[in-house]
Amino acid sequence: MLKVENLHKSYQVGKNTYEVLKGVSLNVEQGEFVAVMGPSGSGKTTLLNCISCYIPADSGSIRLGGTELARLGEDELAEVRNRKLGFVFQDFLLLDGLTVEQNILLPAIIGGSVSADVENRASQLCEVFGIAAIKGKYPAEISGGEKQRTAVARALINNPLVILADEPTGNLDSKSSRAVIGTFEQAKSGLGSTIFMVTHDSFAASFCDRVIILRDGVVWRTLEKRDAERTAFQDALLASISEMGRQ
Amino acid sequence: MRSFYEVCAVLRRRNAKQYALLAGCCFFSVLLITAYVCMMRSPTVLSVLPEGGDSRKQVMMIFVLAVIGCAVFTTYAAGLFLRQRSRELGIFMALGASRAQVRGVLQRELAGVSVISCVLGAALGMPLAWALWSLFRTFLVDTQEMALRFDYRAYILSAIFSLFVILTTLSLGARSVRRTNIIDIVHEQHRSEPVREVPRRWGAIGIVLVLVGVFLGYMSSNFFILVLHWYPPEGLSAVFYAPALVGLYMLLLHTVVNGWGGRRRKYRDLISTSMMKFQGRQTVRNMLVITVLVAGAYFGSFYIPMIGTGAMMRYDAREYDYLYFHRADQDIPGEDEVRALAREYGVEITSFAEASTALLAVDGTHTVEVDGPMGVTWYPEYIEVFTAERFLSESDFNALTGQALDVPAGQAAAVLDSDGSTGYGFDTGISIVTNYLTGERLDVTPYQGAALRYQSLAQHYVLDDADFELITRGLTDEWREHKVVFNVENDEQTYDFAKALFNEIVDRSGPEVEVYDSWDPVIRDRNLAEDGYYFLDRESLEEAGEVTIDYTQRDSSNFRLSWKYMPQFRVLDKADFVKTTAVYLMLFVFVAIVCFSAVMVIAYTRCMTIALTNRQVYEDLRRLGAPGKYLYRSVRGQVKRVFFVPIFTGTLIIYVFYLMIMYFNGSPAGITGDEAAGLLASIGVIAGVSALLYGIYRLTLGKVCSSLSVKRRT
Ligand SMILES: Nc1ncnc2c1ncn2[C@@H]1O[C@H](COP(=O)(O)OP(=O)(O)OP(=O)(O)O)[C@@H](O)[C@H]1O
Ligand SMILES: [Mg+2]
Repeated sequence: MLKVENLHKSYQVGKNTYEVLKGVSLNVEQGEFVAVMGPSGSGKTTLLNCISCYIPADSGSIRLGGTELARLGEDELAEVRNRKLGFVFQDFLLLDGLTVEQNILLPAIIGGSVSADVENRASQLCEVFGIAAIKGKYPAEISGGEKQRTAVARALINNPLVILADEPTGNLDSKSSRAVIGTFEQAKSGLGSTIFMVTHDSFAASFCDRVIILRDGVVWRTLEKRDAERTAFQDALLASISEMGRQ
Repeated sequence: MRSFYEVCAVLRRRNAKQYALLAGCCFFSVLLITAYVCMMRSPTVLSVLPEGGDSRKQVMMIFVLAVIGCAVFTTYAAGLFLRQRSRELGIFMALGASRAQVRGVLQRELAGVSVISCVLGAALGMPLAWALWSLFRTFLVDTQEMALRFDYRAYILSAIFSLFVILTTLSLGARSVRRTNIIDIVHEQHRSEPVREVPRRWGAIGIVLVLVGVFLGYMSSNFFILVLHWYPPEGLSAVFYAPALVGLYMLLLHTVVNGWGGRRRKYRDLISTSMMKFQGRQTVRNMLVITVLVAGAYFGSFYIPMIGTGAMMRYDAREYDYLYFHRADQDIPGEDEVRALAREYGVEITSFAEASTALLAVDGTHTVEVDGPMGVTWYPEYIEVFTAERFLSESDFNALTGQALDVPAGQAAAVLDSDGSTGYGFDTGISIVTNYLTGERLDVTPYQGAALRYQSLAQHYVLDDADFELITRGLTDEWREHKVVFNVENDEQTYDFAKALFNEIVDRSGPEVEVYDSWDPVIRDRNLAEDGYYFLDRESLEEAGEVTIDYTQRDSSNFRLSWKYMPQFRVLDKADFVKTTAVYLMLFVFVAIVCFSAVMVIAYTRCMTIALTNRQVYEDLRRLGAPGKYLYRSVRGQVKRVFFVPIFTGTLIIYVFYLMIMYFNGSPAGITGDEAAGLLASIGVIAGVSALLYGIYRLTLGKVCSSLSVKRRT
């Protein structure tokens, strides 16, 4: 479904060039729930931004369902973002001028298809994430966790095939985290969505089928859950992370 | 809310202030430019500013400044607007809105805002010009020639400027969504253009460059013309001002990045300095524009006090309350008539004297212009019969002045102004005097005694009685003038009498003397012989579309300032000075208003921008426990820098420039009494304007403080 090959990305700051992604390759199957972990600054957000073509990559290839994204025209790319991708940003990127509900509906509005069905779905998502009571509030008036849940609901409104989530549970208590993970699992089982989630949280990651660990701009290790228990998988994750810390 | 259009409408309502600021800036700049153009192209004004004359050039120059200023600040306003909107647009695109969709919305909004505000600004520009003009007419002066007429072609320039504003706004809009990096678009608002480190010596180098540039720029054309004998192409000397601009940029950069406080205050001002640094380039450019506009505005404002004080002092320096003179073939009022008229007006004449003067040709150096491969160059050519000048015999001089001057035979004594300056084009060292009719010639040397200073007879020559008698023999009345001087009791209260006498003199003057004061029969003959025409002849002037001297326009500034036989009645001149120079006064005051308003708007919006972009910083500082006093000081530090540095620099530069002009103009170099008075009066203008600007500064500071919720302290 999602195939990244030998991706390179560097940032230019003044005269200095910082290479952040140094040849990342990975493969995510349709309907797979994958987590990306790695130390802060290892390039996780950069990777997600490159995958959705928000920032241009220096080299390498990104294929989504067989199409090379770099080859798409602007309008086609916009269409892909709107219909097929759901993106949860690390810093939420909610519009300050719109209410929580309006923010959630925004991708549907941009796509030009706001039916009663979509509105129902928005209400449903609000219920699931426990933000129904604050639907009419503006982003400036809600908490960080509420913003995060709003951002997740917005990513899900168009029933995307691929969800790219940058730390969707970073600000949440365990109950809210479970709700987010739960909806991702639902999207996976109900719609066959593919989920690609960046997280620092081994608890959230332990729900995934596979965890990719990034370090110094390359894939350091991939852990597969297979048929392991969730807690056992979490322990394996923690062991890997502490191993990485020791090196 | 189901459509993208509705979303945009909601956001528009939430962001009304941003739209208002952009609309306001477009409106204001088009309004100012339109008003200025209407004024500048008005036939009323054009008739006063001679074609190719210095004052028209100045008006043009300041117009260019105003256009640059307005263009810069609308560009910034559009940039600021797009920055504020970029987050929204970026999020739209991140969520899958196509570029075309976003661009469509943005361009429609920008076009709407800019077109409406430009049209409104252009529509109100002419009424504004008219209103300002009327205000002046009501409160200052009102003469017939001041009725403001408009040339509707002025709107072509205004339309061009509006088009520029609209197109810039739209193209900036297009550029802002063109980028492929969507994350950059989202974060555009927080991106700053930090200036890199600036060596501390840039401040000093900047000052030196400014001084050098101003000096070079001013002196270059003199150098070309006087030393190289070459008339440089128009605009070349502007190049020599370039170091001044570079220096100014360095100076402002140093001020913004390093500040002038020295190292001791490094930490105290860390926050405000570092914030300025991150606003860097834009702030510096804004400050540059403010500096230039302040300089331009003052340049215009000084004109009136400089001319005015000088003129008033020259009027006061006149030895006689009343002086008139005329060609001897004209029938003008004699002593009896004047006394009768005085009685009629209840004016008492305390002394009365008459004398006759003769027009004689003198030698001089003529500049011959040649068209060469380099453009126009010139070489000096000495000719024995150069111009016609006024001569007095020593006894007539003594009769008028009450002195006992004795000029030795063979000497010519030049009369200087009361402060010892010679006046334009007056040669104190003539050596040949010629009777233009008979060709009789007298060789003279300059008078050896103490220099003669007499305001009422300045620019005359005095000859020994016998010499005078001999050389003027055979002159017809056309070459002789009659001079009448008298004093009256309570000079200040004799305006009506002065006016009546003036009208009487003009009424009785013939068409043959309806000429400019620089009309010279000797030059005329030479020009006619060489070129076939004389540019000061009525027909030549009319052909060239120039204003002529016209008895029916006797109250116009042109007539009062330039008629060859304009009487010198102190009370009349003083009372009418403001009137006769009213159009100049209005124009320059208007220019000053335009420039200073632009300065205020630019400084205000810049400060508000700094406040907007740094709101988070102040929030954080407060959370970190910064005391209110510290916050206030840091806010004030920034607002102060935006206001004071460019305004102070601009003021200083233009004042030094004026000092230099005053010092080097006229010969000998130096500051004469009336120039000193003019310079003092200019300081008065500076004080007044500075007080106004200080008020705006306080207002802005208040606004910025309240927008950052920082308490204002005294
Ligand atoms: N726009 C940018 N310009 C320059 N450098 C950048 C930019 N964005 C990110 N970086 C640098 O690239 C590196 C990777 O950043 P990235 O945001 O991808 O890290 P991350 O893995 O998401 O970290 P975190 O877990 O803290 O979110 C960091 O060192 C960061 O400083
Ligand atoms: Mg990140």
